[in-house]
Amino acid sequence: MTRDTTPAESGAPVPSGTGTTTGRPAATAPAILLRDLVRTFHPLRGSADTEVRAVDGVDLRVEEGEVVAFLGPNGAGKTTTLDMVLGLTEPTSGAVEVFGRRPRAAVVEGQVSAVLQTGGLLRDLTVRETVRMIASTYRRHAPVDDVIARAGLAKLADRRVSKCSGGEQQRLRFALALLPDPRLLILDEPTAGMDVTARRDFWDTMHADADAGRTVVFATHYLEEADAFADRIVLIAQGRIVADGTTAEIRAQATGRTVSAELPASTLAASVERLRALDGVRSVQERGSRVVVSAADSDAVARLLLVELGGRELEIRSAGLEEAFMALTGDTGADGAAPHTQNDRPQELVR
Amino acid sequence: MNATFTLLEMRRITRDWSAMFFTAGLPAFFYLIFGATVDAKGQDIGNGNVAMYVMISMAAYGAVTATTSIGGNAAVERVQGWGRQLGLTPLADSSYIAMKAVIAMTVAAVPVVITYVLGAATGARGSATAWTLSALLTLAGSAVFALYGLVIGTAFRSEASVGAAAGTLVIFAFLGNLFIPLSGALLTFAKFTPLYGYAALARYPLTEGYLPDGTQDPLWLPIANVVVWALVFGGLATWFVRRGRERQ
Repeated sequence: MTRDTTPAESGAPVPSGTGTTTGRPAATAPAILLRDLVRTFHPLRGSADTEVRAVDGVDLRVEEGEVVAFLGPNGAGKTTTLDMVLGLTEPTSGAVEVFGRRPRAAVVEGQVSAVLQTGGLLRDLTVRETVRMIASTYRRHAPVDDVIARAGLAKLADRRVSKCSGGEQQRLRFALALLPDPRLLILDEPTAGMDVTARRDFWDTMHADADAGRTVVFATHYLEEADAFADRIVLIAQGRIVADGTTAEIRAQATGRTVSAELPASTLAASVERLRALDGVRSVQERGSRVVVSAADSDAVARLLLVELGGRELEIRSAGLEEAFMALTGDTGADGAAPHTQNDRPQELVR
Repeated sequence: MNATFTLLEMRRITRDWSAMFFTAGLPAFFYLIFGATVDAKGQDIGNGNVAMYVMISMAAYGAVTATTSIGGNAAVERVQGWGRQLGLTPLADSSYIAMKAVIAMTVAAVPVVITYVLGAATGARGSATAWTLSALLTLAGSAVFALYGLVIGTAFRSEASVGAAAGTLVIFAFLGNLFIPLSGALLTFAKFTPLYGYAALARYPLTEGYLPDGTQDPLWLPIANVVVWALVFGGLATWFVRRGRERQ
């Protein structure tokens, strides 16, 4: 469509502002590079709270062309991290690079743009006027009617923003983000507040766009969205990255099972050692005479427990996606705290 | 300067009919009531007449109404998320402020032009210098009240607060000697209020500092008033913007 407005993808030199040509990074510069990123906030005046560490030492490298989901509960630090990638917030310490340069420089060159959470549109403008207004701030941009069409807003172009639904306003923000034809597109909870249909429509539009090779990083707390759309999931909780892997890897963790059994007290210590040594075992806990084993291959654990270790009253529970998500993003301060929640609520009794 | 952006901002303002009425219509109406139709309108004052005195006062009231609401609305827009949207574009803060200033001055010129045209048509008389200088001072001084709007908008973060800020201008206008001539202790107190210096300065080319009660303000007095209030509003605006950034 208007791919020709992206010089970086066509291999042409990027039109740069004064002096940036000298610092032009090699083509191998990652789309996002975060090094020990920290952002703290001061509490409200008069509050007794101590400093809040919204982002607490994040290291991350996102290569060009990846589609990455930032998955985590509300307040995990997703928005703050993305704000720093966009140059909207300055880090307290650590470094942020976008295509090898400062975030603000990348924004000015139109290399990165974003769809932010709700809020932030002028209600008294029409859809087309809003796009024209933001377009006018770029030296080069995709044609206004073109981005309106790509965001599925052609029929609403002359409607006032105040009369657009939440989903339509989100499409408008998406249209605005397409204007510079960015190499990196950031979406911060893009479907928050949308109903199921609007959410599916939005992702359909996004799919079409990401297939064109754009790097996309999106924050969400919907597991299904991350699963359906991302190649890679970065799980964030309490300002830290708690898991990072391909969708398949995260799913493997999420679909692991918990096996528990009563073991003879005399050989308990030795049995625990053997269980820990087994492939795919993530944790082994003792609860009195009972051991609780969290593992990817529950069959192997069950076989070992029953055949060799003299286990009785065996139980296998599947950890649901939701539970794994909570286990990974929950209180990571105390080891083994998360599996307790799985034990309290057996989902499926296999045997 | 970005013409498309500025023109779209202007279009937004023309869409808000009620605000345009209070900015452009009301001062003209006040001029007709208090200036053009009073018996004493032809009476001499300094370099002109009473009708011109009222005309300048009402133009000044209209101009500050415009700049207060534009400054206030800009602040509210920014804190309600438009600032983040603009933060994703190459637009620099300084360009944004420059465009808003051009818009504020343009809109402030509307009541000034309307009131001055009405004045010329209905018997306001004065020297050419008084006409020109008073119009320029009215426009330039109104910029201080864009800062006032900015302070209120940033502090209270709602459109309603901007409306209230424009409303309080009526009180300041009374104390600024804009609607009725003050005297005595009230006049002494009024000289410390924010609209007094601006209005007195705008009328200075006409009155040379003489007041309706026969006393005279030295030129430094309105200048000091304007400078001090500009510093107060500017300082408060800086403080509120900084506090808002800390809070996030």
